[in-house]
This record gives sequence, structure tokens and C-alpha cells, in this order.
Amino acid sequence: MKRSFKDDFNMMAMLLIPIAVAVNLVGFQLANVLRLPIFLDTIGTIIVGVIAGPWVALLTGLITNLINGIFNPVYFPYALTSIAIGVGAGYLSKYGFFKSVPKTIISGIIITFIAVIVSAPITVFVFGGVTGNTSSLITAAFLASGQELWSAVFSSSFITEVADKVVSVLIVYFIVKAMSDRYLSKMNYGDLYMKRNNRK
Amino acid sequence: MKQNILLQLHPMTKFYFTLFIFAVVLISPGYIFSFAIFPILILIAMLAGVAKEFLNIVIKALVTVLIFIFIMQMFFYPGENVLWEWGIFEIKQEGIKYGLLLTSRILAIGSAFILFFRMTEVRDFVKSLEDIGLPPMGAYVVLSTLQIIPEMRRQANTIMEAQKTRGVETEGSIFVRAKAFIPTLTPLILSSIAGTEERAITLESRAFSAPVKKTSLHQLSKSNMDRALPIVFALVVIGLIVWRFFL
Amino acid sequence: MTAMIDLKNVSYRYPVSDDSVLKNISFSIEKGKFTAIIGNNGSGKTTLCNTIRGFVPHFYKGDLDGEVIIDQTKITDYQLGQLGEKVGYVFQNPFIQVSGVKDNVFEEVAYGLENLGIPVEEIKIRVEEVLKLVKIEYLRDKNPFELSGGQRQRVALASIIVMDPEILVIDEPTSQLDPIGTQQIFEIIRLMKERGKTIVLVEHKMDLIAEYADDLLVMHKGELVMQGPVREVFADPEFEKYQIQYPHVTEIALQLQQSGIPLSFLPIRDEELADALNRTEVAAHD
Ligand SMILES: Nc1ncnc2c1ncn2[C@@H]1O[C@H](COP(=O)(O)OP(=O)(O)OP(=O)(O)O)[C@@H](O)[C@H]1O
Ligand SMILES: [Mg+2]
Repeated sequence: MKRSFKDDFNMMAMLLIPIAVAVNLVGFQLANVLRLPIFLDTIGTIIVGVIAGPWVALLTGLITNLINGIFNPVYFPYALTSIAIGVGAGYLSKYGFFKSVPKTIISGIIITFIAVIVSAPITVFVFGGVTGNTSSLITAAFLASGQELWSAVFSSSFITEVADKVVSVLIVYFIVKAMSDRYLSKMNYGDLYMKRNNRK
Repeated sequence: MKQNILLQLHPMTKFYFTLFIFAVVLISPGYIFSFAIFPILILIAMLAGVAKEFLNIVIKALVTVLIFIFIMQMFFYPGENVLWEWGIFEIKQEGIKYGLLLTSRILAIGSAFILFFRMTEVRDFVKSLEDIGLPPMGAYVVLSTLQIIPEMRRQANTIMEAQKTRGVETEGSIFVRAKAFIPTLTPLILSSIAGTEERAITLESRAFSAPVKKTSLHQLSKSNMDRALPIVFALVVIGLIVWRFFL
Repeated sequence: MTAMIDLKNVSYRYPVSDDSVLKNISFSIEKGKFTAIIGNNGSGKTTLCNTIRGFVPHFYKGDLDGEVIIDQTKITDYQLGQLGEKVGYVFQNPFIQVSGVKDNVFEEVAYGLENLGIPVEEIKIRVEEVLKLVKIEYLRDKNPFELSGGQRQRVALASIIVMDPEILVIDEPTSQLDPIGTQQIFEIIRLMKERGKTIVLVEHKMDLIAEYADDLLVMHKGELVMQGPVREVFADPEFEKYQIQYPHVTEIALQLQQSGIPLSFLPIRDEELADALNRTEVAAHD
């Protein structure tokens, strides 16, 4: 199955984007309200990657950060991270990485690496290594113990990201499982997850 | 509020101004110049009548970040000139200098964007982007996102309340709280996507993909100011580049 | 008269369903006629509307057999966007039936015209006119998300008729409306008919169908089981078989007949009952 950039876009996929962006924001807010130690702010982007493919997820990530940036411009440079997460989730889905729980956990770890590799340079070059969140404290601790800036930023962001991303992909896995065939049949990658096909 | 000359500028003019600040900050050397931009932005915010919201958001979004960044550079930026020392912590002059440079730039650029969105309705900004070639689908997605977010927030709260009355714990240990997350988010997502089929039909019924050029009730107009200011911005930036790199 | 909507042996199966939802359906609707589709829940009325509008199979995919011809052109020869100008479609769920990007009713109603590229001045005139027609002028500055179900149904109808399509397909437009609101909607539909529109309406309120519609299509488990002028379909003894409601007065008349009271004809409108009772000696009605 060969897909081009254009194939990934249709109206149903486009209408998924606003919902996914809202899910990113609401997920983050819920995690806050429930005082969870993880962000859960990329669930929407990952869902889009899984059922609608990398390009639609790219837009979802971009729009999420642009909208967050309206009230906090620190989000703008990290749009690249969101984009990378979306594209990564899309490709992982294409190659069947969301079809079982163990594979899904592996995708969570791969997505963590993607997120860390893309966000670390932003943190270092734009913000000099910290942005004032939890991972900044860990970075500071690593630096104080004598680590290099880059390795401090990489390791601290890996530590804060990995739990978040693994939990997020698992939530996505179960949500996609709960989606109706009727809906999935209209999404580009939906046929990968339809119960009807798997039954045969 | 609508009478205000600054607010009445075309969204693109305001956006060019934001980019202008961005460029000026990156071109100009040292931190003094960049720090000087902030009071100018406050002044503009006051003239536009949005000073209060502007400062509120700057404080909420940027102040902790800036303090953090400054302290980090102060202690960990590599340098020779130690000003103060306590155990493993040393404050170096180079660190202070780099900290000031970094924070001055982040403050100026960050608050320029904050100011832009205080002075511009997102709807107008999207329209202006549509006028210069953003596809209608893109404009639709952004505007619809802005409408869906508060709607979903409201629904999330409703579902959460319902969960509580049905005995799902939202207090207690971390595992208990984590377990409340999924039954709140899942129905929200599933019910929202269930509506997209009909939304797509609605849009098609309203001729969304009709093969003609769309018109719009919402028109943005450009004044002479809107034509002149971008040229001024460009000239200043070119001047700065010449001064900085060629003189 | 020319056929505006023409279906020949149409069968359709949704991609995710096992059975056909439409089974070998053929009918033809003339230009300017008002046709009501009736049938029980799940009988395929909405699917039939989607077929006339071209969403089946353009949007829903699945297997469509047979021919759907709209205004002499096969539906497969239209592009999705083109058919929108010809066939206006107001569908069942009023709650989702908003554009999702407009903050007031005036702009909401104007949305379709913007998409059709109508000049702004003309848009304003046409929207004003339709707001008045549908009696929602008082809602013009309200947010479409903050309307009641009935108000939304009116806005949805207004948003379609403002586009002035030749064919109107309307799926249960009064489910959220009170009796007066329902009556008003039927008056609007009558007006549309007077303007020469071809109208297809799905509705469960038989009294109003009897009063306003020309023809009936009766759907039952995916099959088109009866079709013809409203009066003939209700008068046909076969109708009873499908367990669909009769108009009120027809129900009463049937009971009178059963208890031995002769009627000259089977009334379908309230005011006909007296006539039917009085003129038992006259052989036939019009
Ligand atoms: N998009 C869809 N995908 C799969 N099956 C569908 C879809 N839409 C409807 N169906 C099924 O097709 C059948 C006919 O449904 P349809 O909505 O056309 O009935 P209806 O006569 O309009 O019913 P109602 O009076 O409840 O509106 C039902 O069994 C329904 O479950
Ligand atoms: Mg129906």
C-alpha cells in the first residue's frame, strides 16, 4: 500500500484534528486536576498518527503548540517536538506497531526517543538548557553533579518523558480498540484496527 | 475598544511587527537593547488598552522561566571569572552575561508574541492568512479547534462529575487518581469522533467543497498605515544588519 | 413532466454492515412534487436520503448497485461538491448540524453562500429574507452552539434553503419542535413547493403528511413496499401490514368502518370526516 502526502488528507481526517488538539489540551488539564506526575498532553496527536497517518498528525502537533503558544510562547519552538511525535506515531502505526500491547509499549519508547532528540536541542539552544518545569530541576541536579549540559538535558528529559509517553500510547491503544468499525473505516489507517478484518 | 488605532491595524501589520521585534532582537548585540524593548511593548499595550491582560500573561508564562534560565546560566555557564563561590556552586561573570543575554531575548520575543495575540483576534489573523493563500480547509481546522476546546473542557468536567457520583475516585493515591483518567477521556473522545461523520455531511451540504472561489462576510481592510509600516520595519531591519555587520 | 429524481433497482450495503440496507429500490419523482418517505426506525429512510444526495456511495463508500439519476444525470457523473448546489440536504441530527466555525446565526446561515462564492451584498439580502421566512430573525446574533434543539432545526433548515437548491431532501426536520413549530415548518415547505422545488421529506407525523404531501414512499426493512399518491397509499389495505401509524382521522374512520358505519371514502384530513359520513350515498369522492 503506497500512500502519498495528499492521500492522507480527506475531510474526515481534517475534522479529527480539532478534536485531537482539544484532547491534547483537556488531557493535560485532567492530568493536572488529578495531580498525576505526567503530562498526558500528546494523546490526541498520537491517536491521529495511529488512525489517520503521519501527515495529519503533523498538523495536529503543529496546531496544538500554536494554540498553546497564544498564552505561553514557550510552546512555539517545541512545535517541532509535537510534529515529530505525530509523524513518528504515524509511521509506527503504518508498520503495525500499535497492533498489540507489547509492540505499543515499544512504540512508546521509540516515541520517547524521538521527543527527546528533537526537544533537547531546542531546550539547549533556545533556552540555555532549562525551561522551568520538572525536568529542569533534574537537569540542574545533573549539572551540579558535574555532567555535561547536553547529557544532562538528554537524560533529564528522557526520565520525565518515558513514563508519560508509554502511558499515553497505552491509553491510545485502548481508545483505538474502542472505536467503531464504522468510524475506523473512514480513516486512512483505520482498516489496520477494524475488528471486522481481524476476525477473518 | 474598536476605535483604537492600534487595534484597528491589519492583523498582518501586527504580525510583521512581531517578526520585526524578533529580527531586531536577534541582530542587536548585547542585552541592553533587548531589555529596552520590553518597556516599549508595555507602552504599546497601554496605548492599545490591553496592558493589564498583557502583563498578566507575561508574568504567568515567562517570569518563572526567565528566573530559572538566569540562575542556571549564572551557575553552570562555562567561564573563568568566578565572582562568588560556595561549595560546588560558583557564579561566573560569563554566566551572568550570557544569562542576561538569553533572558533579555526570550523576554522581548516572548512578550512580543503575547502582545500580538492580545491585540489580534485569532479569527482575524486566520482570515488574513486565508487572504494570502492558506487553504480554506486549514482555516476551517484552526477556527473549529478554537470552538471545540471550550466545548470539550465543559464536557470533561461534566463527565468527571458524573464519574464522582458513580463512585469513581478522583482523590486518594496516585493509582486511584490515575484510574479516573481513562473513564473520563475515553467517552469524551469516542462521542466527539462519532459526530465527525455528520459534521462532514453538514459541511458538504453547505457546499464546502464547491469548485468555486469562496466569498466572505468577514472582510479585512488595509489602511495607508498598513501599507507603510511593513516597509518601515523592513528598512529598519536592513539598516540594523548593515550597521551591525558591514560598518 | 420530467423526472427530477429517478432510482432504478438500487441496492446498497454499508461497508461495515453484513446485509443490504436498501434492497432493489425503484421510483421516480417529478419536478415540483412533494414526496414523503415514511417507515419505521431502521427501515432505511435516512440511507435513501443519503443516496439521493450522493453521500452514498461518494462519502459512505460501500457497494451501490443500480442507477441513481438526478436531473437527467447519473449521480456517478457528478462531483461531490457539484451536487451540493442542486440538492439541499437537511439531516436528522440538529445538534451537529452547524458549521462549527461561526459565532452567530446570521453568519451560520450565510456560510453556504460564502462557500458558493455569492457576492457579499447578495448574501446579506438572501440571509435576511430567509431569517424572516423561517422566523428566526430574533436569533441572528446568538451563538449557534447555544440554541435549543428546535431553534437549531430551524437554523439548519434556513442554512439550506438560503442556498436555493432545486431539490430539498429533509430528514425529520421537526423531531425537536412543538406542534406550532412543526406546523410552521410544513408551511415553509409548502412555500418551497410553490416556488417550484422538488421536495423529499422523511417524517413520522402523518396528519401533516396527509395535509401537505403529494406522494408517499413506504419503506420497510430496506424495501420500498408501497408508493403512490398519499390518499391511495393510506387507503390501500396493504398499508396496515407495515405497522406504521395512520393519520389520526383515518384511524378513527377505519374503526367506524369496522363497527359497521359506512363511509363514502377514507378521509385522511380532519375536515374530510364529516364529508365522508354525510355523503355515504354519493359513490365516489373526487
Ligand atoms: N453509516 C452507517 N454504517 C453502517 N450501518 C448503518 C449506517 N447508517 C445506518 N446504518 C444501518 O442501516 C439501517 C438503516 O438505517 P437508516 O438510518 O437509514 O434508518 P432510518 O429509517 O432513517 O431510521 P430512523 O427512523 O431511526 O431515522 C440500520 O440498520 C442502521 O443500523
Ligand atoms: Mg433516519
